[in-house]
Amino acid sequence: MSFAKKNGGKAFDILQNLPRITLANLRPEPGAKKAEKRRGRGQHGGNRSGRGHKGERQRGNRPRLGFEGGQTPFYLVIPKYGFNEGHSRRPQYQPLTLKRLQYLIDLGRVDPTQPIDLTQLVNARGVTIQPLKRDYGVQLVDEGSDIFGAKINIEVQRASEGAIAAIERNGGVITTSFYDPISLGILIKPVPFFMRGQPIPRRMLPGENMVPYYTSAENRGYLADPEEIQQARRALAQKYNYVLPDISKDELYHMLAVRKDVRQIFFGLSPGWVVNMPEKKILKPTDEKLLEYYSS
Amino acid sequence: MAASMLVQRTAALCGTFKGISVSKAVCPVNSHYGFMLQTACYNPRPLRLDLRGPYIPDKDSIKTPEWQKTARYDKKLFGRFGSASHIDPASLWPSHEELEKIKAEEKQWHPPLEVMLKNIEAKEKEETEKRLAKEKLIAANMAKMPKMIEDWRREKRETKRKLKEEKAQKAKLLAEARERFGYSMDPRSPKFLEMVAEIEKEEKKKKKLLKRRVKEEQVAAPPVAQS
Repeated sequence: MSFAKKNGGKAFDILQNLPRITLANLRPEPGAKKAEKRRGRGQHGGNRSGRGHKGERQRGNRPRLGFEGGQTPFYLVIPKYGFNEGHSRRPQYQPLTLKRLQYLIDLGRVDPTQPIDLTQLVNARGVTIQPLKRDYGVQLVDEGSDIFGAKINIEVQRASEGAIAAIERNGGVITTSFYDPISLGILIKPVPFFMRGQPIPRRMLPGENMVPYYTSAENRGYLADPEEIQQARRALAQKYNYVLPDISKDELYHMLAVRKDVRQIFFGLSPGWVVNMPEKKILKPTDEKLLEYYSS
Repeated sequence: MAASMLVQRTAALCGTFKGISVSKAVCPVNSHYGFMLQTACYNPRPLRLDLRGPYIPDKDSIKTPEWQKTARYDKKLFGRFGSASHIDPASLWPSHEELEKIKAEEKQWHPPLEVMLKNIEAKEKEETEKRLAKEKLIAANMAKMPKMIEDWRREKRETKRKLKEEKAQKAKLLAEARERFGYSMDPRSPKFLEMVAEIEKEEKKKKKLLKRRVKEEQVAAPPVAQS
């Protein structure tokens, strides 16, 4: 129709009148396909085929990597030292930069209007956690703290001071909490766990070496005193020289104040419940002993 | 629109090329999935739909493998099929005995927070006490140091002086012997020793005389001072 305006204009006309795409019409982008190096063919590839002149090089009999002709090689001269001793008994935390977090929020992969959990981060494919490789969770790193500008309620396993400051400067809330390896496996892959038909277990407390970390207010530990955390917030604001925004006057205050119980793994689900995926039902125990155990 | 064009083309082609099997973009495939449109090119990846219905193994038959008769497998069946698996949901939770076992294990291996905090405090206290005791000891010893240094230096000086004196004394005696006898003799010989004894006697006598004189002077001086 004459009054219906087409998008594209002349380009669209041209496109419509071009012949159909076939293999005869296609050509790779210049520089995309590099010709392979064929040894032993032609004037330049033939003769010695790029192997050099006689000796071990041409005959393929060079000694092993690291051999220095009999001199004690570098990898034996340096004495042993236990840098990596006990490496498999050390907890690891996958780093998450604030830059990446801002990227995920900007792309809409992570919803800042809901509490951000490790499950949300893994669903958004922001981090990859391997509990079987001694990963104990995710740690927040203050790499992009100058460009970070999102108000979020985030829960991680470790956080550097700069990251805590950056999040609280924007009016957000950060908590560090501990997940034992089984709980972590359930947290990052909830659906396969629900298909197993087991009741949600209780989250265990950290070991003695990690209790001081999670009970201190400077690290915003989940076992710390709320008043101490308030004090620490003010102290940090003073240290990093920013005005601490008042969250209680925020409209999202209710969301920002949501925190998990010490023994809880998922928001909204208590330990002891069985989640049934095919019928979309939750089964809760009624036995008093079970209830007492799961709510202790 | 594009899909319908493709379907028309494939239908035409399938009509024309009878003997040759042409795998085109969208072909109505009568596979074991029934009449389903596969939207992939040649060699499509199999869809793997499970439309047979839930397989619940027969618990009484001998032919079913042992692992399909366990409680763990029952839970997985429930997780996959829900109530269609005809499993009592009450079996999903631990029984009372199992619960007791779990509680005992947790009590042994996972102490409560208060106990852990107490342990930590005790350890810290011990550490600080040790450190303080060590520092105290060091401070006390450092306070004693000047005196000890002085003592040691004094000792050294004393020994040096004594050695010097002894040497001088011996040299004197040797010179004396040389004077008396006219030749230098061995200090270990009996003559030398006799001479030494004689000199000592003379010295003692002199001292006694001196003492007497001093006493007499003392006796003489006070009565003069009194009167």
